[in-house]
Amino acid sequence: MRDALAEGLERYLRVRLDAPDLTVHDLARIPGGASRETYRFRARSAGAERKLILRRDPPASLIETERSTEYRAYQAFHRLGLPVPEPVALERDGGALERPFFIMSEIENAQAASVLAPDPYGAHSERIGHQFWSILGRIAGADPEALGLADFDGARSPQHCWSHEVARWEKVIDEDEAEPQPIARGALRWLKRHPPPPAQRIAVVHGDYRSGNFLHDGQGTIRAILDWEMAHLGDPLEDLAWALDPLWAHHDPSRPAGTLPREDAIRLWQDTSGLKADPAALAWWAMFASLKGVAIWISAAHEYATRRNDDPVNAFSGWYCLAFHNKVLAEKLETLA
Amino acid sequence: MKPEAGDILDVSAEQLMGLVPQLGDSYLQGSTAIHALLMRFAAREYERGADIRARENAEMRAVFAALAPALRDAALKARLEAAAATRDASLAISALDAANAQLKGLLIALHVHVEDAGERESSRRLWRLLKEMAERRVVSLF
Repeated sequence: MRDALAEGLERYLRVRLDAPDLTVHDLARIPGGASRETYRFRARSAGAERKLILRRDPPASLIETERSTEYRAYQAFHRLGLPVPEPVALERDGGALERPFFIMSEIENAQAASVLAPDPYGAHSERIGHQFWSILGRIAGADPEALGLADFDGARSPQHCWSHEVARWEKVIDEDEAEPQPIARGALRWLKRHPPPPAQRIAVVHGDYRSGNFLHDGQGTIRAILDWEMAHLGDPLEDLAWALDPLWAHHDPSRPAGTLPREDAIRLWQDTSGLKADPAALAWWAMFASLKGVAIWISAAHEYATRRNDDPVNAFSGWYCLAFHNKVLAEKLETLA
Repeated sequence: MKPEAGDILDVSAEQLMGLVPQLGDSYLQGSTAIHALLMRFAAREYERGADIRARENAEMRAVFAALAPALRDAALKARLEAAAATRDASLAISALDAANAQLKGLLIALHVHVEDAGERESSRRLWRLLKEMAERRVVSLF
């Protein structure tokens, strides 16, 4: 007996792609984070085969995001020529498959590095690093209006980028904390008392640009930047600081994201974005990055503890990652006190 | 000698990890490996969990006792003194967690108060405590 999901997908794609003979094969769930269920499958029609990925909302989502955000980011940056999967279809009401979903092309022969790997890219770390930080610079340098993403959620003026994001993540902590969080609350007070300078420009912020969220071919080439579901408008330094965060390089913090020395990473980002990474502003966004991490991990812990989403990644995030970022924040704030 | 819960979790995690290569499905492989890692974390928490919580609770009570006398806010001072006089009657994790949450709530109120009053030395003392607490809660991958 065939899987109900495969049958639903087949019925949907026959209509969506105007291919009455289309059949779905080899549907299998693959790792893809706790915030969306990710499946690989093959669609055959008229003697041809397409290798596709289905991303479907779980019964409860880790961070509530607008469902079209990730899909529209893929569309916009695919047109811009960045390595992202080609989007195929988006269904916001999700009737065909019970929950909202979208479909995109599969990036074949590519892998995502584990953030726990001690040396995720081995001999290719320099090449991967050049691409990783340059692509982030291109995202920062792109015009949201020209991309068709000017209506994305986020700040509308450069001076409000920081306060918009602080409010966003403070709300997540307010809603999801299981017990009082003295370190996060102290970080929030510090961030509000020491605001950064206004953003140099409003840009599309990926929102989760880091090691583990891109595919590479194992030979030194980045094939796709993934997981755009938290994309929004804001200060491009937010993405840079998040990518530089020590959680993504805990085996060697001097080489962020397991790639290049920090100064080289920042220089590449500056060269490709045309922006400056002012050290004081970047330090504020680095503090914010760890606070944002704490908020995400608190939310993950909440999902797991309430059984709304018992993916073990949520338990790992709510335990290991939360403790890690609490320590990072406490060390910084003790020095600044 | 009998196996403690931590030993059982450690051995079970090792056996679970041994099964991972035999699971053909990549999602199942990844998910099982994380379950095994979580069991290792749980094994360590079995050993240290009560100690971490009891120490945090004692240290927060001690800092309340030290800083409360100088506070001008009478209501906060009374709450801190009352909390400083409490003790952990049970070492059950749930009981320690309940006390820990109450004390952390008060710690936040105290920290806001000393920051607003510009009492930098007290603020530094609280951050030192929070740093030590955070360091003890860190989970090792190895």
